[in-house]
Amino acid sequence: MRRRIWNVVHMEWAGIAATPSSLLFLAVIPALLVGQAVFLSWIVPRFVNPAILGAGAGDADTLRLLILKQFPFFVLLIPAMIANVFATLSIVEEKVTRTLEPLLATPVRTWELLVGKIVAGAVPALLVAWASAVLFAAVGFGLGWGPLLRTLFTPTFFLSMFLLMPAVSLMSFVIGVIGSSRASDAKAAQNLAVVIIFPIFALIAVQVTGLVAFTPLRTLFLSLVLLAADGLLLRAAVRLFARESIVTRWK
Amino acid sequence: MRDPEVISTDGLSKRFGERIAVEELTLAVPAGEIVGLLGPNGAGKTTTLRMLAGILAPTSGTALVDGLDPAKEPERVHESIGFLTESPGFYERLSAERNLTYFAAFYGGVDAHAAARNGIEQMGLAGRGGDKVGTFSKGMKQRLALARVLLHEPRILFLDEPTAGLDPEAARNLRELIVSLKKEGRTILLSTHNLTEAEELCDRIAVFRTRLVAIDTPGALRDRQFERRLRVRLASMTEDWLAALRAEPFVRSVERGTDGALDVRLADPDRDRPRLVTRIVEMGGQILEVREVERSLEDVYLSLIEEATE
Repeated sequence: MRRRIWNVVHMEWAGIAATPSSLLFLAVIPALLVGQAVFLSWIVPRFVNPAILGAGAGDADTLRLLILKQFPFFVLLIPAMIANVFATLSIVEEKVTRTLEPLLATPVRTWELLVGKIVAGAVPALLVAWASAVLFAAVGFGLGWGPLLRTLFTPTFFLSMFLLMPAVSLMSFVIGVIGSSRASDAKAAQNLAVVIIFPIFALIAVQVTGLVAFTPLRTLFLSLVLLAADGLLLRAAVRLFARESIVTRWK
Repeated sequence: MRDPEVISTDGLSKRFGERIAVEELTLAVPAGEIVGLLGPNGAGKTTTLRMLAGILAPTSGTALVDGLDPAKEPERVHESIGFLTESPGFYERLSAERNLTYFAAFYGGVDAHAAARNGIEQMGLAGRGGDKVGTFSKGMKQRLALARVLLHEPRILFLDEPTAGLDPEAARNLRELIVSLKKEGRTILLSTHNLTEAEELCDRIAVFRTRLVAIDTPGALRDRQFERRLRVRLASMTEDWLAALRAEPFVRSVERGTDGALDVRLADPDRDRPRLVTRIVEMGGQILEVREVERSLEDVYLSLIEEATE
């Protein structure tokens, strides 16, 4: 069982490594997001009058801190964006290259195939997201925001990075794979998988507007709920993987 | 004694909505036999192979492959079969060896790397194992696909149109490979549109048109479908001789063809042929040629399909 899952994972990675555009995408996404976050953190307190946000003069650091605090949620977009490309193509590509039927004629189980594909995408997406966080912190320290950044390293931050983010990453890939196995072509799969992004935007919106303060307990609770949902979604993905229609309708 | 059956179906049927793809298929294939599945497009050949391979579930009926029900234990069936699908299907950006290693690693007890290398060599692709599959010709891909099917040394093979779209030389090479697989004692179900190929490779032929129209050896199908006839060419011919031959009890009919030769139907062709020759010689006829009229498998196939359509 484990051997078959790892076989799928390794093959997916071999496929990514053999595709320069995939590697470029993995490098560009974090660079863009980190660059954008750093740019906003630098420019907003410098040029925006804090008064329009209701802050007092000289509250530039408060404003910067407000922006920096969004980063742990902002970085959740990384696995979602990666999933939107890799996961949505995972099954569609097998259909297009006609590799799915020979694959289904091997002893691999549907759930092993799907778990392999999800893990193969979620792990690099997670690593890229963590690398982005490290890069962001490094740049932030380099720009002299050390004291502000240190205030971010709370239990909520670590829970968000190491529990919430894996849960979100898994969910993004499970939804992407569902979209991929149900869609009739790559474009349709990506359209279906746009829903991956919406919940993360909602999380960011909730955090930015201050509607809900993410305490450690709330973050832990949210992460556990998402992990449980991941399990349910994975079961749904296996059920929704209609091998008959995939094999017979794809000509 | 007949070899035990390794593939059998009983009333196997498959519907896609309102459309019947396969209807009440009952079939038994003993070990070591090659059975060809012939039929027009949409006759249910591929669907049958997919059901036997555990990829599609039957709507009704049962199947046993190597003693296992593909609908209930598809993964175990996959351990004992090799399924050459209609299109080869490879990860074209990756090498041939990487592709085969991937598929081999799904089987228990298989050294994936050794099996992949061995497969590449067996199929005459040595030296190309490291090349991307995308650079391969269609014939090479088909040979690679056959190597993939054999990675775990299955005893049963399902080959879906293995030579379709190949040039004559590549098709011949592949047919030779299939013959060598039969010599190794493997049981093969071969779906094809190529009647010459079916006759050359198959022990028995199953003619399909959603349901099984007929299954037998090519010779038996011929005999069943067309009465055996003799073509007799004489140096000269008179109407009296014709009448005399028609009067013989062992002669069922004699017709004169447009080329002047006689088209003779005998009561028992094997027994009565010498009697016919003797009678003609007795009448003073000079025989230039006596031969049995060969019906091609195409004639047999078209006749069977026509009957099934009526």
